[in-house]
Amino acid sequence: MDIRRRSLLATPIALAAARAGAQTTSQPTPSGLPPRHETLILENPEGTIRNAGWFNIWTINAGGSYTGLQQLAMDTLWYLDPEHGLDGIWENALAAEPPIYNADFTEMTVKLRPGIFWSDGVEFTADDVVYTVQTQVKNTAMRWGGLLALNVKEVSAPDPRTVVFKLSRVNSRFHALFTVRFNAVWMMPKHVFEKAGDPIRFDFNKPVSLGAYVLHSYDPEGKRFTWQLRDDWQRTTLGRFGKPGPRYVSYIDPGPPDKRVIAQLNHDLDVIHDVAPEGMFTLARQSKTLKTWFPKFPYAHPDPTLPALIFNLQNPMFADRRVRWALALLIDIKAVSMASYRGAATISAIGIPPTGTHPEDYHKPMQEWLAAYEVDTGKRKIRPYDPTLGKQIADMVRPANPDVPTDPALIARAFGYGWWKPDAQAATELLEAAGFSKRGSAWYLPDGKPFTVRVVVEGESRPVMTRAGTMIAQNWRQFGIDARTEVAQGAAMLDRRNAGDFETLIAWSVETYGGHPDLAYFLDSWHSQYVAAPGKPQAPRNYQRWANPELDAIIEKIRRISFDDPKVVEYGRDYVKLAVREMPTIPLMAYNVFTAMDETYWTGYPTIEDPYTDPVPNWGNSRYMMVRLKQRQA
Amino acid sequence: MSASVPTEQVPELAAEPRPTGQRRAGSYGAYLRRRLLQFVVVVFIGINITYVITHATPIDPVEQTISAATSFGSTSPEAIATMREALRALYGTGDNPVEQYVRFWRRVAVGDFGPSLSAFPTPVSVLVGRALPWTAGLLVVSTAISWVLGNLLGGLAGYYRNSTTLKLTGILAMAVHPIPYYIIAFVLLIVFGYLWPVLPISDAYDQGMRPGLTLDFVLSMVRHGFLPVLSLVMAGIGGWFIGMRSLVSNVVTEDYTLYAELAGVPRGKILRSYVMRNAIAPQITGLAMSLGAIFNGAIITEQVFGYPGVGSLLVAAVHAGDYSLVIGVTTVSIVAVSAAVLIVDLLHPLLDPRVRAG
Repeated sequence: MDIRRRSLLATPIALAAARAGAQTTSQPTPSGLPPRHETLILENPEGTIRNAGWFNIWTINAGGSYTGLQQLAMDTLWYLDPEHGLDGIWENALAAEPPIYNADFTEMTVKLRPGIFWSDGVEFTADDVVYTVQTQVKNTAMRWGGLLALNVKEVSAPDPRTVVFKLSRVNSRFHALFTVRFNAVWMMPKHVFEKAGDPIRFDFNKPVSLGAYVLHSYDPEGKRFTWQLRDDWQRTTLGRFGKPGPRYVSYIDPGPPDKRVIAQLNHDLDVIHDVAPEGMFTLARQSKTLKTWFPKFPYAHPDPTLPALIFNLQNPMFADRRVRWALALLIDIKAVSMASYRGAATISAIGIPPTGTHPEDYHKPMQEWLAAYEVDTGKRKIRPYDPTLGKQIADMVRPANPDVPTDPALIARAFGYGWWKPDAQAATELLEAAGFSKRGSAWYLPDGKPFTVRVVVEGESRPVMTRAGTMIAQNWRQFGIDARTEVAQGAAMLDRRNAGDFETLIAWSVETYGGHPDLAYFLDSWHSQYVAAPGKPQAPRNYQRWANPELDAIIEKIRRISFDDPKVVEYGRDYVKLAVREMPTIPLMAYNVFTAMDETYWTGYPTIEDPYTDPVPNWGNSRYMMVRLKQRQA
Repeated sequence: MSASVPTEQVPELAAEPRPTGQRRAGSYGAYLRRRLLQFVVVVFIGINITYVITHATPIDPVEQTISAATSFGSTSPEAIATMREALRALYGTGDNPVEQYVRFWRRVAVGDFGPSLSAFPTPVSVLVGRALPWTAGLLVVSTAISWVLGNLLGGLAGYYRNSTTLKLTGILAMAVHPIPYYIIAFVLLIVFGYLWPVLPISDAYDQGMRPGLTLDFVLSMVRHGFLPVLSLVMAGIGGWFIGMRSLVSNVVTEDYTLYAELAGVPRGKILRSYVMRNAIAPQITGLAMSLGAIFNGAIITEQVFGYPGVGSLLVAAVHAGDYSLVIGVTTVSIVAVSAAVLIVDLLHPLLDPRVRAG
């Protein structure tokens, strides 16, 4: 074990865990665990599963989902990779070909792949698809019940390899329900569930698998779930990519971040799902076997998720877009990047995550437009975009991190392109134009009340975002706005976000496919038809409650075209331009996930150089890792 | 101390006729009935307060469930409305408050708290039942060890006041007692997990081991439980030590102790039969309270050492807005603490002749 004590002294628990972990590795394998060298061990970010004996993923909370269940035992019609995919971003999984829609998108036909079997030897057929849909339509409390009941008028199987959906209404994205981005409607084994009685109260233990792995064992306390490669792995949809490397895969609860770092330093944990930036920097300094998405700083994988400063647009204080723009121009994104990710952030000025194929479709082609974009302050016109801010952050962190890239393309990819340059004078002019005033050192609303803004953050449960929110509040406070953060964790955060019980919030309302330019995945839910009345729960994901007729028109145009229509990029850029003008949220950066992979036992992890999938191990797509991982030769 | 007060100086006590056996039994029966009634009222009020608080919070378990289901996947606002309605029916949160309240008490009466909403549809009683043995085992062992050691050493230190060893023990107890528990736990982690790495620092037993009554499993459990128990003993022993030493310091000045010493009764017998026996009564009350509080769980211990138990179950339930589970854990705690107090109250008159029922 190579641990330099001086750098670990800052983390006492880490110190403690280090030696204990070392001791654990020197002991014989406890009974029941498969051989270490044949086992890939990954972190389950759900932590400890309280009802460990439940595997009914179709009932919400009936057991864990990221225990390997959705990654290794489930399957569905299609996969859409957030990166580049094993064989392109689109994978026909249980389906033999892409969805076939009729002309007006009221019917979808699916041709199924032959030769796929459940782990108990029963062949997968169209009857399973029909059963999956009908069962959840009848039980709308099930995970996808509401969605299926809303969309499906009739589902039938004219033959064992064909399924026909007749839709209740026009829906050009119906297939998205069966397309894994993170998850999707997983297929249910009809022959198991139809004998189980109430499908909601069936534990599905032992789960019958449609994936390449089958449950080997689990800890009744819910800390470890181990899966074993099926003997007939060729009869699964992963089979055509080759034999998966790991014979066993364990998903474990390794404890708090310090313990995760030490577990990996001791080679007891092959893949850390996420860790604080400081933990990643420690690993980068001390591990000789570390593999990360970016080989150098900033290391992390940018998820197709966009943390932002979300305004509650039903609050009259933010009704005027000049106020929102003023607040954006007061943010020092370099300071936010340093405070939140210690500089390891991938910034984005536009409402699209800078990840997957999006930089090529949106960020890069729109640089010229952004640079020319003008804001009228009421006194003058300014061009607020600074295309060099990504580079400036890279330059800023390079002295402490010599491995920061210097190639402009790599910098843009890792740190983002540009952002809005801080401009207090322009912010002053915008606020004054909106009727705000400054007396002494404090700002006041048009009605004379003090301009106070509360930024809701998640506290210790999401420290990176909390630090971003704290820095933004500080930026505003320095300008004379009474800005403070408020902590709402866990259930309280979700409740306040959904109920609109906030002024501003650090969260995300933008999630995309990452590997595909279609934005309907999140944008459809931003239509004004879904905006809740004040005080009523807002359905995901338009938490800012933005209602805009121009946006509605864009969404309606997207609804009328196919998912693969080249116009989705054009309409997507229209959305970006509108969102820049209106600033309903202030986009900040990608949600960077510090997934740390250890090459002591396994090689072939996905990286920016070999981006065959997202490395974050709770995503459904992470199953692709299994066929690319190879046992490291001693 | 009533035992040392001459009755001549307290006419009302002296005037009180000594109760006959029949009268004593009768008054004890009345005392028993009164205490039982108090117990029922306290438990009823306690559970009601828990019910009101959990239901008065703005956190809606249905919205939490919807958020859990829609955090990452495809969603549609209209579908969520359908799901919301279905989940309210499934969880029974859509009924009117009176119906919910009546149903709740019907269930509680038979020990059923309904399904956990964050681990649906596993019954709350199953989750609590699974977590309780770990917490109870951990805390019973650590409480018993710290109580016995603390009282024994405290009693000795109070009686043998000139012993250098016991003085040092007292100094050590006084030094450790004010240290916050989490500091003690972290120090133990560093010492026994890093500097001298002989003990595991998380889990209740080796991962991959099948729980059962086997020697391997028991040994694994003991190894994993050692540090949590040690931390609790270190944190708890000082209180018992100091309390017992103070009590003994008072008792040794009592007339009956002086008489015993003057009469030449052996010091060991004086300590056992006169000093410790008289001083221990409040400590027994404290022990009963501590044992009752076991059902609250040891939240910090379970978090620091990654140990399963009621404490971490409660924390998870609060974070998830799972008020069925919160009520389940809290109710067990209310009943346990109340029952412990009741038992002590009922036993005291039998154990201590100075205490009279009523």
